[in-house]
Amino acid sequence: MSGRFQPGVFWGSGVKRVSVAVLAVAFVVFALLPRQSQFLLHTIGQPFADLVAIPLEGMAALDRNMREWWMQYIALQGLSEQNRELREKVQQLTGDVNRLRAQALTAERLAALLKFQKDESIRTVAARVIGRSLSNWYQGVILNKGEDDGVREQMGVITPAGVVGRIVRTSGATSIALLTIDPNVAIVGMVQRTREEGMVQGTSQGLVRMKYLPPLSSVKKGDAVVTSGLTGGFPRGVLIGEVSRVEESADNLFQVAEIVPAVQFRHLDEVLIVVSPRSPEAMIPLDQALVSPGLQNPTP
Amino acid sequence: MKISVYTVFILVLFSFQAALLYSLNPFGIQPDLCLIITCLVGFRVGQVPGVLVGFPLGFIQDLFSAGPFGLNTVTKAGVGFLAGVFAKNLANRAPQAAFLPVMACSVLSAIVFLLLSRMGMGLGEMLYGFSSILLPQALLDGVVAIVANWVLVRWLLEAPSA
Repeated sequence: MSGRFQPGVFWGSGVKRVSVAVLAVAFVVFALLPRQSQFLLHTIGQPFADLVAIPLEGMAALDRNMREWWMQYIALQGLSEQNRELREKVQQLTGDVNRLRAQALTAERLAALLKFQKDESIRTVAARVIGRSLSNWYQGVILNKGEDDGVREQMGVITPAGVVGRIVRTSGATSIALLTIDPNVAIVGMVQRTREEGMVQGTSQGLVRMKYLPPLSSVKKGDAVVTSGLTGGFPRGVLIGEVSRVEESADNLFQVAEIVPAVQFRHLDEVLIVVSPRSPEAMIPLDQALVSPGLQNPTP
Repeated sequence: MKISVYTVFILVLFSFQAALLYSLNPFGIQPDLCLIITCLVGFRVGQVPGVLVGFPLGFIQDLFSAGPFGLNTVTKAGVGFLAGVFAKNLANRAPQAAFLPVMACSVLSAIVFLLLSRMGMGLGEMLYGFSSILLPQALLDGVVAIVANWVLVRWLLEAPSA
């Protein structure tokens, strides 16, 4: 062993040479044929993902139990319980208020209230968060529902408090959702008060920005931003967050609003995956869909 | 027997990182345990075991990652191999000697990630990524590696005989 680099060590012989060759080939194939190689690996990995989901769920349950135990027995049991109930209630009520506000404003502009309500009917699958993003470069969560439960890529993920993110990868038993604070997630949002639309997107800094707002828009701090329902994945009127700052874009053509997300992503335990944002046959009103425990296994 | 232990170890390590580690991360940055363990195996045991541990760990990470599929598989296997090469060229393999190889591997895998998946990133975002994610994570990975390497040396490799 010496302090100087030995080229022979890098190449070695036998198995080491094969390892180097396989790695080099894999890297070149991955770099030159990204789509094909990713598809191949994804297909091969599907059964493994279901297998790995088992210990992952176990570890998530351990995490949940530990946190619950801590909350219940260490951190002032009674107050904690009351606080949790109140917070849940506030979240539900906030969701209800924003949904109703959106419905009321829309109803003024649209005569056909019944048809609108049909459009607002959504079908959801309740899912539990069993893991977090493994990389610091992505802001995402691993959910315990996958293709077997009807979950597909690009479906929206919400909670009673508001928008969580979007499904980007699925396997049989699990799926991965990117949060709205991730730069790879973009949702068409609408300022509830002014009804102006813009693109809501996460940033590398972990913030949420609403871009392409008209330069003469009167959007201001405190305005609620909701989903417009124009793009797939989300029903209309689900709260995204509240405007905290407004500034002009770098080219001065638009305004950009910084948004504080309605959902606290760090304390995310259960979510709803929007299987069908506009499903007339489902006819489940949004408020029921968000609070009903009976939607764990929706009929196909 | 060896394969079952190896499989259980990989599954537990991955599950721990995915389900529990986020609640322990300081300043919003979490260490990449899979990378650290792969590096340490390469560092202490050799290039080929490094590849053999890195490949499945990277593959499982890819299954549950939002990034391009295969990126972790390739980088983790490469990192395991490189750590082995580092170790062969180091005279000192004390616990603290793991800091630099692991940090270098962390930086390298992050650069590969940026080159292959974030080509469209602006300069400002790139600089932000370097200063707020890449470098802090590399430092954290290095520090965690020293601790892990110390535990490995103290309790597993040189356990006092009864």
